[in-house]
Amino acid sequence: MKALLRWRWTPWVALALAAAFPMFASVLDAQYLVRVGGIIGLFMLLGLGLNFTLGYAGLFDLGFIAFYAIGAYTTAIAMRAGVPAPLALGISVIVAVAFRALLGLTILRLRGDYLAVVTMGFGEIARLTINNLDSLTNGPKGLQLAPWRPLSFVSADPNTQYYLLILGAVALGCIASNRLEDSRVGRAWIAIREDEIAARLSGIPVRHYKLLAFTLSAAFAGLAGGLFAQWEQFVTPESFVFWESILVVSIVVLGGMGSIPGVLVGALVLVGFPPIMQWKLSSEWINYRYFFFGLILVLVTLFRPQGILPSSRREAELTS
Amino acid sequence: MLIQQIVNGLTLGAIYSLIALGYTLVYGILTMINFAHSEVLMLGAFMALGLAALLPAVFGTGLVGLAGMFILSMAGAGLINVIIERLAYRPLRHISRLAPLISAIGVSIILQNGVFLWVSTQSLRFPEPVVIDQVQVFGATVSTLQIIILAAALILMGLLHFFVEHTKLGKAMRACSDDIQTAGLMGINSDYIIALTFFVGGALGGAAGVLYGMNYGSIKYNLGFLPGAKAFTAAVLGGIGNIRGAVLGGFILGFLEVLASGYIPNGAQWRDVIAFTVLIIVLLVRPSGLLGEKIAEKV
Amino acid sequence: MTLRKAFAVAAVVLAASCGPKEKTVKIAVAVPLTGDMGTEGQGLRRAVEMAVEEANAAKRFPYKLVAAPYDDRADPKEAVNVANLIISDPNVVAVVGHYNSGCAIPAAKVYARAPVAMISPAATNPEVTAQQDSTDWSGPRIVFRVVPTDDVQGSYAAQFAFKSLGKRRMTLLHDKTPYGQGLGEQFKKTFIGLGGKIVSEDGVSVGDKDFKALLTKVRSDASKPEGIYFGGLYTEAGLLLKQMRELGLKEPFAFISGDGSKTPSIFDVAGDAADGAYLSIVGVPVEELPSAKTFVEDYKKRWTGSGEELKPFDHFGYEAAQVIFAAIERAGGPDRTKVIEEIRKTDYTGVLGRTTFDAKGDTLNKIVTMTRARAKDRAFPSVK
Repeated sequence: MKALLRWRWTPWVALALAAAFPMFASVLDAQYLVRVGGIIGLFMLLGLGLNFTLGYAGLFDLGFIAFYAIGAYTTAIAMRAGVPAPLALGISVIVAVAFRALLGLTILRLRGDYLAVVTMGFGEIARLTINNLDSLTNGPKGLQLAPWRPLSFVSADPNTQYYLLILGAVALGCIASNRLEDSRVGRAWIAIREDEIAARLSGIPVRHYKLLAFTLSAAFAGLAGGLFAQWEQFVTPESFVFWESILVVSIVVLGGMGSIPGVLVGALVLVGFPPIMQWKLSSEWINYRYFFFGLILVLVTLFRPQGILPSSRREAELTS
Repeated sequence: MLIQQIVNGLTLGAIYSLIALGYTLVYGILTMINFAHSEVLMLGAFMALGLAALLPAVFGTGLVGLAGMFILSMAGAGLINVIIERLAYRPLRHISRLAPLISAIGVSIILQNGVFLWVSTQSLRFPEPVVIDQVQVFGATVSTLQIIILAAALILMGLLHFFVEHTKLGKAMRACSDDIQTAGLMGINSDYIIALTFFVGGALGGAAGVLYGMNYGSIKYNLGFLPGAKAFTAAVLGGIGNIRGAVLGGFILGFLEVLASGYIPNGAQWRDVIAFTVLIIVLLVRPSGLLGEKIAEKV
Repeated sequence: MTLRKAFAVAAVVLAASCGPKEKTVKIAVAVPLTGDMGTEGQGLRRAVEMAVEEANAAKRFPYKLVAAPYDDRADPKEAVNVANLIISDPNVVAVVGHYNSGCAIPAAKVYARAPVAMISPAATNPEVTAQQDSTDWSGPRIVFRVVPTDDVQGSYAAQFAFKSLGKRRMTLLHDKTPYGQGLGEQFKKTFIGLGGKIVSEDGVSVGDKDFKALLTKVRSDASKPEGIYFGGLYTEAGLLLKQMRELGLKEPFAFISGDGSKTPSIFDVAGDAADGAYLSIVGVPVEELPSAKTFVEDYKKRWTGSGEELKPFDHFGYEAAQVIFAAIERAGGPDRTKVIEEIRKTDYTGVLGRTTFDAKGDTLNKIVTMTRARAKDRAFPSVK
């Protein structure tokens, strides 16, 4: 298993298999899994994004989904105003990043759990504002979007198209994360996470790097939100509740903080498990899905507290 | 109207304070946010309901019955909190800061779904052991229930204060809160004190749950989530880890919500936005909360 | 090692709880079965299950009907997941769902691709059916509703408040959901049109318990409102009523709300405080409709567990199932496309009165009746 993870072609093989999956799915009578796969992909994107804030820089963020919402609503509003879809996605990323930067400039001086509460607060502020600002967002009634189906030449099925688009975004996200991880920036983040004061004393401009991690996260969230909006063709505040932020935090921690394959597996397990249960459990057991989910969460944490696929650095720390 | 709103604020604040105390006690000793605390408070309410349903003659009537129901539910909730700590947090304590958090989230899901699946999927009427009257105080309508709630909350807070400040166990708790390793070196059994802290925190949460059920008249499996999140915010506002801070934060949040709903046109819609915005502003001015201390970090 | 063990155990449990795959005809029930809205979803599931059991017992079809539950947790993305799962099961002939408009709207797009009919028992946002008129809609019209859109009840309540109760100044509250806000907006429009005044307006959140501050503001309002119109569901309505009475807001200060509040469960939340509340329902008075009375009694007999009392939208779920049964009969068999067409031609009289659908798919049953809550026997006699 470890050897497989270290082999340099593993990510590319995995990517190829994942891209080919929709073709197998129709043969295996598992089209449902293409849909589930797309949703897992969105949460992989979100996890990769939060990984910068939480995994690398160690900032405890409980309101990440707000930027997913901002991305989704920006795309919706832009496309309804006639902006072409790819441009709308770009604008969503920019808007999400802008809000995040503003928030970061304001609150990043707070430490630890105070930051957590403030980010949670902002998450709720965003959702409630979207719900109340009927003139802009149509409030609880939600907004419809026109469909954008750029990959119609590959498949008529929107699930397949968005699965592939999201897969592409995830691949890009992984590459970006990997590059950053191995760079000065990545090392600075880890230094800050491990011991902020020592990092500061070593000459690392802590505030700047924190803000960078914080802001970069939002780019991923904004993109994911935009893709989500375009796929579903509908946005509503109910999609962006506090629980979703907690889910993304769990994905990063349970998968392995600061570990790219960890985050991907974390999303696969946490986001994939309930829909698989919905598919495979008989009717009497469907009500128990989330009870089982809670059990899994506790058990996996107890047995692998360092994360399912922790980064080698973390594994070394926590098992020595 | 002002007097009435003050009464409203006091009742709400009292409940938030009790819940906030549960968060702050656990945080103070372990720097851990007990995400499952909101479910412990819900279980406290359900235990009270269960007691009244099982033995209505004993617990369903009179002040004595009410007190009995209270004490047993508190004990039960405290016990549950201790069990959760032992099973889901202790193995993770030394490994990482965030792992117990995820475990707590899992426990919260298990408890909430457990009640949904095995107790009831709908709201259940909460027992009313004492007859409730309305009295007029300076033009405000105050129900005897609100007086009971406020009194109970204040008594419990007073007891907690006495326990923490003037008993040996309380001293041990404070020592562990300050520096658990040194406390261990001084001969304090930190595992035992941690369990005790969880018991006390859980008991307070359970008490809040019973008061909650009494105040609103009905309970449901998901009753814990919202007050839990708000009380956690209150605890942080006051300075997480600080007992007086939790009480202060709880009352401030209660009054903030009442002011927003009560005085601002369309305020009830924006109430939570206002509350969180105030929280952010306060924390920007005092980054360790209102009564939190800036702990110097030794390098 | 221990992780692998854990997964092995999980796999065994999963395999053990997997159901056999038989050929049956399924009515999918796509509602929130767990989570915050689980209470209402479970009610709808029970209603449809009861309908299916009755049909099977009466040997209405030569094959066994099954009510297949699907949990959308009131989360729009889960709803779309579930919709994708449903359409991939060829045994599903039609869908009763969804409960939330936010779920019904995106899910309907998926059902249209199959196509399979979706009859909603509770989603009241006009967009649920109106989206089929859009140029972006791909697929046939498959959305139907046995519950009327918001414009009926809100307006009726306004007329009732103005003419029957003589109120001129009302406070408007709603729960910020498409259902509640929709009712509120309609009430406001009609009430002002009649010459009444909305003294103040505010929103509450579903899940909130404490409205004392808000109600104190209403009580002390200088414009002296004569009542509250609340667009929302029974939990919040019940809490509002309870806290209103605690603050001294009683008759003649009126409380008017819609069918989301009209359920015996409101007495669990509010107790005697709910007494005297005016609650509108869709359909003719239950006293004049023997089938409605029978439904309530049968439901009580069938479902006796804790938490299994009749919920406000259950009779809509029951009726949706009946409409589907009738359509299957007319179509000559469980053929999805034929069933869609037959549902469109529905002219069914049941527990809701007479149900027919307009070109959009909305029910033409727009009769509204006002009832008044009576705590001593948990009943809702109709009032004029």
